[in-house]
Amino acid sequence: MGAETSEAPASDEEFEERTLAEIMDPREFGWPTRLGLVGLATLAVLPVLRGYGFLGIVVNSQLLTNITGAMFFAVFAMSWDMQSGYTGEISFGHGLFFGVGGYASAILQTQLGMDLLVTIPLGMVAAAVAGLLIGFPSLRLQGPYFSLITLVTPIILIGLFTFAPDITGGATGLFTEPLTSGAVEGYVIALVLFLGSLGLFLAITRSDAGIVLTAIREDELAVEAAGLNPAKFKLFSFVLSGLVGGLAGALFVHTYAGGFVAPSDLLALVISIEVIIASILGGIGTITGAAIGGLFLFLFRAYIAQVDLTVPVVGVPINEIYFLLFTVATLVVLFFVPEGVVTRILMRARRRADTEDDDEGPDVAADGGWTEGEPTTLERIVAKFVRELRELTGDRGDDL
Amino acid sequence: MSADSATDSSIETDTATGESDRYGPDDGVLVVDGLTKRFGGLVAVDDLSFAVEKREILGFIGPNGAGKSTTFNCITGVYPPTEGTVYYDGQDVTNSAFHRMVQNGMARTFQEFRPLEDRSVVDNIQISLVPDRLFSTSGLRGRTRAKAVELCERVGLGGRLHQAPDELPHADMIRLELGRALATDPDVLLVDEPFAGLAEEDIAEISTLLRNLRDQGTTFIVVDHNMRGLLQLIDRAIVINFGERIADGTPEEITEDPAVRKAYLGSED
Repeated sequence: MGAETSEAPASDEEFEERTLAEIMDPREFGWPTRLGLVGLATLAVLPVLRGYGFLGIVVNSQLLTNITGAMFFAVFAMSWDMQSGYTGEISFGHGLFFGVGGYASAILQTQLGMDLLVTIPLGMVAAAVAGLLIGFPSLRLQGPYFSLITLVTPIILIGLFTFAPDITGGATGLFTEPLTSGAVEGYVIALVLFLGSLGLFLAITRSDAGIVLTAIREDELAVEAAGLNPAKFKLFSFVLSGLVGGLAGALFVHTYAGGFVAPSDLLALVISIEVIIASILGGIGTITGAAIGGLFLFLFRAYIAQVDLTVPVVGVPINEIYFLLFTVATLVVLFFVPEGVVTRILMRARRRADTEDDDEGPDVAADGGWTEGEPTTLERIVAKFVRELRELTGDRGDDL
Repeated sequence: MSADSATDSSIETDTATGESDRYGPDDGVLVVDGLTKRFGGLVAVDDLSFAVEKREILGFIGPNGAGKSTTFNCITGVYPPTEGTVYYDGQDVTNSAFHRMVQNGMARTFQEFRPLEDRSVVDNIQISLVPDRLFSTSGLRGRTRAKAVELCERVGLGGRLHQAPDELPHADMIRLELGRALATDPDVLLVDEPFAGLAEEDIAEISTLLRNLRDQGTTFIVVDHNMRGLLQLIDRAIVINFGERIADGTPEEITEDPAVRKAYLGSED
């Protein structure tokens, strides 16, 4: 048989068919999942705790507003991770979806006087259509072409807006109706969106589609050899990502942004890049990592901008160089935790669980996981990008 | 080339199917008619025609660079042929997408292994069991898992379920390729270089596995340039060189054939 070590059959759990109830049983969860659920519960009850303070943090409108923005940003990051983090086809311009969703809703409201409850869903649909229009031709191309197209499209859109400033507000932005006025209402809307997106993305990436999407990241030809159509799954994840990103963009404009839509909030290249950074910090290709990375990054930026301190020797106020500090912090995390914070925590937890059970030999991470010594997901994605770039430049290593 | 004159005469004597040497859709479960593949100026496959009977193990023999893998790639739709027609199950499937061919029951392995490096052996096999649907949760429950484990055991990877592909010895990588192809439940399986770099006992074991599967109804086309291992496995062989067929017949006929001896055996190893 060639296998010199363990001929023992695999553990019995592999042969058992699990019911949905067993999968959902909280007693089966590891501590990171429980911690995550506690975090979600905290987010859910936070508006009720208004006026109270914990550990020096007072729950006030400012905090709620900041977390509202953070939840929107986390949805943006998750929508990027759903597509780029899972398929490895890197989008450098996910801001397009947020912008199309936000602008479509805002323009429909201001120009046609339609109700926000109609324009917001239409904004979502518009973003999905944009995903279809861009994804259908470009996802058939090699990865680097796709990245280039996604990079350019939001820039083109911003350029187009300046041709019709009456309708689009041009470079400065456009005032439209807000959906809510209070901090709590906006918070609740963002929370529902956040939980809904998280649930949807987790369900899809943990179903069979997740297996296919991560396999596409690894080797598209191998996916085809398994009788699966990679183009279909790639387009699906891109359009789904656009759908959620568009909805988030539209809701963002009419709640957190108070009815104001501007290119710098949604469409700008900085937004697209920040979304990628958030996902990388949290852990690419995990959804939960993008959610936590997005929340953390937004709050970090919001608070560092408020710090009323001056850097001693140089004499520069911290809130003026917050973007520099933010990028330095990002680099530090990237250097010490290249696989992402959430991935690192999950790996530690799994390793501890493994040593407790101690029944099998070296195990390989299942879904979205990472084992020490292996290349990280980020490295895999970069390797795929480089490989495809090399194929494009004509250095073909195929066998005849 | 000096081999050309011998090549021409062998086609006429061996095949004797008339002047045109054409095949129709119903000549076998898989029929290749006039297949040609050119890469720029390079002719990798030149007007190649053959038919595969149901439940046979057809050897596809030729020296390195003879066009075997290219023929596989054209048949399975990895890339389109320049000219020619491929019939599968009586249907013209030329230019069908690769994944569509796999869904229709034609699987293949790769000479250069293509494992998914980010997941274990059993997860590599499981990918072939996933349905080509966007919304499916069969993997969440244990059913496909159990089937994947069973397939691993069938190809002799039962003891290596949780290892990463890069930990596997060469012979087990071939088993993994076979397992992934078998998991698609193929009627026709194209096996590319199963014996390359294998020890005798591994060759014997994989041959037994393939013969058992043939007995259960699978048709095989096996490419290898290791003639010794292959000739013991196959029912019939086609020998190609420079993209053209130079002989076909039973293993005995092949080894006797002067054109084959000249083009191939003389240059072996």
